[in-house]
Amino acid sequence: MNTTPAAAPAPADSDAPSVFSVNGLWKVFGPDKAAAKVPGSADADLSAAELRERTGCTAAVRDVTFDVRKGEVFVVMGLSGSGKSTLVRCLTRLIEPTAGSLAIDGEDVLAMDATRLRDLRRHRAAMVFQHFGLLPHRTVLDNVAYGLEIQGVGRGDRRDKAAELVAKVGLDGLEHRRPGQLSGGQQQRVGLARALAADPEVLLFDEPFSALDPLIRREMQEEVARLHHEEGRTMVFITHDLAEALRLGDRIALMRDGRIVQLGTPEEIVGSPADDYVRDFVRDVPREQVLTVRTAMRAATAGEAEQGPALAPATTVVDAIQAVAVSGGPARVVDGGRCLGVVDDAGLLAVVAGLPAPTGRGVAA
Amino acid sequence: MTATPTHSKARTPARIPGSRAAAPSGAARPGGRATSHTASAPQDRPRRGLRGLAAGRAFLLPMGIAVALLIPLATAFPGAGSWPAALAVDLSGPLGRAGDWIIDHRDSHPLFLYLFGHVSNAVVVAVRAVYVLLLAAGWTGVTALAALVAWRLAGIRLAATCAAAFAACGLLGMWVPTMQTLALMVVAVAASVVLGALLGLAAGLSPRADRVLRPVLDTMQILPAFAYLLPMVLVFGIGVPAAVLATVVYAAPPMARLTALGLREADAGVMEAAASLGATGRQRLLTARLPLARRQLLLGVNQAIMTGLSMAVIASVIGAGGLGDRVYQALASVDVGAALAAGIPIVLLAVVLDRTADAAGRRLGADPVPLGEQHLLRRVFSGWYGRLLTLLAAVAVAVVGRMAGTSVWPESWTVSLADPVNSAVAWMTDHLYSGVPVVGGTADWAARFTGWILDPLRSGLQAAPWWLLLLTACALALLAGTWRTALTAVLALGAVGVLGVWETSLDTLSQVLAAVAVTLVLGFAIAVGAARSARAERMLRPVLDICQTLPQFVYLIPVVALFGVGRAPAAAAAIVYALPAVVRITVQGLREVDPTVVESARSLGATRAQLLRQVQLPLARPALLLAVNQAVVLVLAVVIIGGLVGGGALGYDVVLGLAQGDLATGLVAGAAIVCLGLLLDRVTQPAKEA
Amino acid sequence: MRDTDHRRTLRRPRGAAVLAAATGLAVLTGCGAADMTRQASPYAAAEGAKTVTLSVQSWVGAQANTAVASYLLEHELGYRVDTVQVDEVPAWDALSQGRVDAILEDWGHPEQEKRYVEGKKTITRGGDLGVTGHIGWFVPTYFAEAHPDVTDWKNLDKYADQLRTPESRGKGQLMDGSPSYVTNDKALVKNLGLDYEVVFAGSEAAQITQIKQFAKERKPFLTYWYEPQWLFERVPMTEVKLPEYTEGCADDPEKVACAYPHTPLQKYLNARFARSGGEAAEFLKKFHWTKAQQNEVSLMIAEEKLSPQQAAKKWVERNENVWKPWLT
Repeated sequence: MNTTPAAAPAPADSDAPSVFSVNGLWKVFGPDKAAAKVPGSADADLSAAELRERTGCTAAVRDVTFDVRKGEVFVVMGLSGSGKSTLVRCLTRLIEPTAGSLAIDGEDVLAMDATRLRDLRRHRAAMVFQHFGLLPHRTVLDNVAYGLEIQGVGRGDRRDKAAELVAKVGLDGLEHRRPGQLSGGQQQRVGLARALAADPEVLLFDEPFSALDPLIRREMQEEVARLHHEEGRTMVFITHDLAEALRLGDRIALMRDGRIVQLGTPEEIVGSPADDYVRDFVRDVPREQVLTVRTAMRAATAGEAEQGPALAPATTVVDAIQAVAVSGGPARVVDGGRCLGVVDDAGLLAVVAGLPAPTGRGVAA
Repeated sequence: MTATPTHSKARTPARIPGSRAAAPSGAARPGGRATSHTASAPQDRPRRGLRGLAAGRAFLLPMGIAVALLIPLATAFPGAGSWPAALAVDLSGPLGRAGDWIIDHRDSHPLFLYLFGHVSNAVVVAVRAVYVLLLAAGWTGVTALAALVAWRLAGIRLAATCAAAFAACGLLGMWVPTMQTLALMVVAVAASVVLGALLGLAAGLSPRADRVLRPVLDTMQILPAFAYLLPMVLVFGIGVPAAVLATVVYAAPPMARLTALGLREADAGVMEAAASLGATGRQRLLTARLPLARRQLLLGVNQAIMTGLSMAVIASVIGAGGLGDRVYQALASVDVGAALAAGIPIVLLAVVLDRTADAAGRRLGADPVPLGEQHLLRRVFSGWYGRLLTLLAAVAVAVVGRMAGTSVWPESWTVSLADPVNSAVAWMTDHLYSGVPVVGGTADWAARFTGWILDPLRSGLQAAPWWLLLLTACALALLAGTWRTALTAVLALGAVGVLGVWETSLDTLSQVLAAVAVTLVLGFAIAVGAARSARAERMLRPVLDICQTLPQFVYLIPVVALFGVGRAPAAAAAIVYALPAVVRITVQGLREVDPTVVESARSLGATRAQLLRQVQLPLARPALLLAVNQAVVLVLAVVIIGGLVGGGALGYDVVLGLAQGDLATGLVAGAAIVCLGLLLDRVTQPAKEA
Repeated sequence: MRDTDHRRTLRRPRGAAVLAAATGLAVLTGCGAADMTRQASPYAAAEGAKTVTLSVQSWVGAQANTAVASYLLEHELGYRVDTVQVDEVPAWDALSQGRVDAILEDWGHPEQEKRYVEGKKTITRGGDLGVTGHIGWFVPTYFAEAHPDVTDWKNLDKYADQLRTPESRGKGQLMDGSPSYVTNDKALVKNLGLDYEVVFAGSEAAQITQIKQFAKERKPFLTYWYEPQWLFERVPMTEVKLPEYTEGCADDPEKVACAYPHTPLQKYLNARFARSGGEAAEFLKKFHWTKAQQNEVSLMIAEEKLSPQQAAKKWVERNENVWKPWLT
């Protein structure tokens, strides 16, 4: 099981400090005593049905380990029932984990007392929910200011701040509406603004867009991408939508039955699935849009390193095809002036066809 | 029972009255239980197939136990009908002594001096304060305040209704009694809302408290009002304190149930969001959970008002004064007209209070109109200064009224309703009593109803072996619910026997069964007709509203005039009282049948009768079952009051207990009524705990 | 976490509630003992000092007493009068507690008299009302005229068939009224061996309605009734003779087999009111009139449908010589 960070460099620095550090985390639902016994016992590896039969418990998260690095978008993806929503709630102990360790910026979350924990929720990690969780009796402005109100910020200050955020998420003019008068997308913008209002270190998204229409969903994803681009805030993003995961994630953890099946960059997930489950999962993904020229390139033969169009290593295959088609010959993959290799028709077509890459990534490594 | 929020939201039945609340407006009014019924309804159908399988096992086990327990008992006490004396407990000795002790120590024992005395004084002071305030405001002030508040909440139409209602109270010469009732109501409703909210808070937040409170509240909900009076009188004596406290005890359960329901059903997503923002428990309660439950809370207030009002009238028997007392006094001299003159203000009060509370509820849910688009006047009256302005305006009108010297409604402005009503009633009884050709007069009907239905039913029940009745109750309860339901039913019926009022209770039971049967036949027939035509329903609605809000006392004399003294008039009064609820719930159920199903049936060429029989009635089954349950509870309440018109049985015992201050008879009868109520409720309550 | 938070949510309000309750109790008990028996009605007049509360029983004769007494108290003595409608036995209790200041017409409640007048001394006798009451069994005069022998109890069984109703379980019906009235009828029927069933109408209103209805149809009936009562003017009734009343024959309620006595109706006053009630108490003690006078007012109320106030006003205007002495 690949639970350690992948070797491939992610857009965010791989040596950036971890924000969340999760190690061997378990969440078992069921009677308290029985549940506490499951992790580490002989029952730990049973299937869900067997476990329920034997202990009356359900393990939603099983022995999960990962780090979320500062500034990255960490996506947890899986089908419903895979434990991803439970996992994200464990991060701020909205659901109390059963076993394992969990730290934020090196501070043990599980050891926090109620006050510290509230402080964590108030200032350091804010969450956006699938069903928005807005207060129906408050206006947009007051909903956005709700977190600040809870923190005890004065009325004037919090309203100013809220107004600023309402503008930021593009809801100007709707400040005095109630959530019931807004569309789904607008409501989620309110949820987003509410989470941002506390200026948290991490934003946690729990399937934030799955209740929205496809078009609106696309728009909201772009909004999140924009925010991330502008502010570089760390995000943990839960989704069951592979396209969304691939579009937004710097790294993706794919969950199944409470475990992380594979953790890696989108390219790694699509390019080298860890097992049949993952392979099945990514089968319909247009590989050329996800994989980069790193996957498709081969070592340059003599002379090739000097000619042909230059491409950045992060260029997707689909873009490379265009470049290669225009130039008529192989293109160079250049990183910081150094030529890493070349891509040609055969290599690119192999990616599209899903064949193993001709010479492969040995070069890049 | 899982009443998920989505269910109750999607299926909020528009007008299902709480088990006993009168409901004059189009309010959304799921009594606590009503909601859970309808909420569980959608899950009801798919399970039925399963139940067939499970029922075999579920049925056999408790039945087996019951049989195993009863057979030896039955052989030990073989007497054909009646409950064996050896299994009965005679409580008259200890109860009589307890009653005497209370009377002897009421003015000396510390319990009374330091607890009940203060409670009683507090009630008197509070009622007095409100009453004096209302009188000081004068009719001008009160009417103006009511109209202004209504206008702020709902607009000019409700304001006009309020003003007209209060004016009508004055016109009927009932201004002072109306104010007395209003003062009593304000205090009683405020107290029951606070009490109910606290209980509801406990039940809504703590599952353990809920487990303890729910059966208690369930039971209180089905208790006939009459059963509450005697203990109150005994402790507090005749008068306003006893009346207020009886009203509080009667009106708090709906509030508690709805509060608990609202709190428990608070949108989990919102609650989680609040927690994720780092809200403390208190913040979550105050800023999220309570506001989320506000509709249910308001509904609870509304229910408390309606139940409180009906109790405030009945409590006139123990000296509540006000309008109820006028009704009661008028009845003593067989003056239906005067009783009606006092009854109408009660209906009007109910309408005004209900509509206003309803409007307040709807305003909470509605989205605010932007300030700029409002009418100028409304803009002036909005916000907190608007509230102040409203008050000031009302005070100004009151002062003007006082300066004009009319603080009490001027006597010359009253009209007498009594004479025309009395002559109408006299005409009706003259012509209907016996003179009608072919169908016979009402007297003949009553005789036939008594002779052909009530008597055989009563003698049948009383002659049936007691253990057979217990087994029947067990079987019926099992059909309706789980082994727990069955246990409750059997224990309740057994308790009736142990209390030593077996025969009397069966007499009451026979009246209830007969009246329920008639109510259901009539109710379903009317409802099927009304569900077909919107116009019929529109015409029916005010009639139903009035029937339900009018104090039960008002029915009693006309039914005696029509049906003579005895069990028949009691049954007739019960039918009149329970019919509106049955019609309303049934119409609602038929209306809510999925239109696509109806459409598809029609497209297959179903006739109207087929449509009704094969589609609408089966699909409306949950509503029909609810109607049966409501009919049983409401009929029981009036059959008890029927003790005042010769209904005899438990009702007579309760009346006797009240009239003679006889704790032994009254309390035992009250307890038996509780047991009967429990039995009937459980047996007719489908799959409550499933 | 959810669970732990839950618990915390609960604890605080509970703590607050306990605190509030404790403070409330402390404040309350700080004021010392509260005697419920010295409580006025919240609806009593604001001016307070001169208020009298009278008990009205449900029958019209009692309403007549109260109406005239209230009228005179209000218009001649300047009191404000509140009336409370209560059944007889609870009225004694209310009188003892001071919720009511006076009962003007009592038909004899030896048990209550012993408890309150002789035992607790919270109630004192207020003298005769002047009217003599009598309870008995009555048949309508039209029936008695057609069958003269019905007026003797020994012949009642002959007519049991004619007096049968759906409620009388195959026997003749003897209709009783409110359960609050003094009655020995069940024992009487049993001890006299009559083929009759006592059917309680449950309230006097129901009983009167039924009697009127029977009379309209000129049907026979047998009813518990009493005089003075205005209904006699409307439905003439003749008494059925029961075995003669002798002193003490009704002492054992199980063995009663004799007629009801003629009772001089009594007035009772709350002891405290009798001592310190001033003019009002004096007036109520002197209040004394005849059966005919009472019936005159009763009829105006019951038959002419005048309000008790209007009836009292009419009577007071016509009978100044009767009531003048009560005020001196």
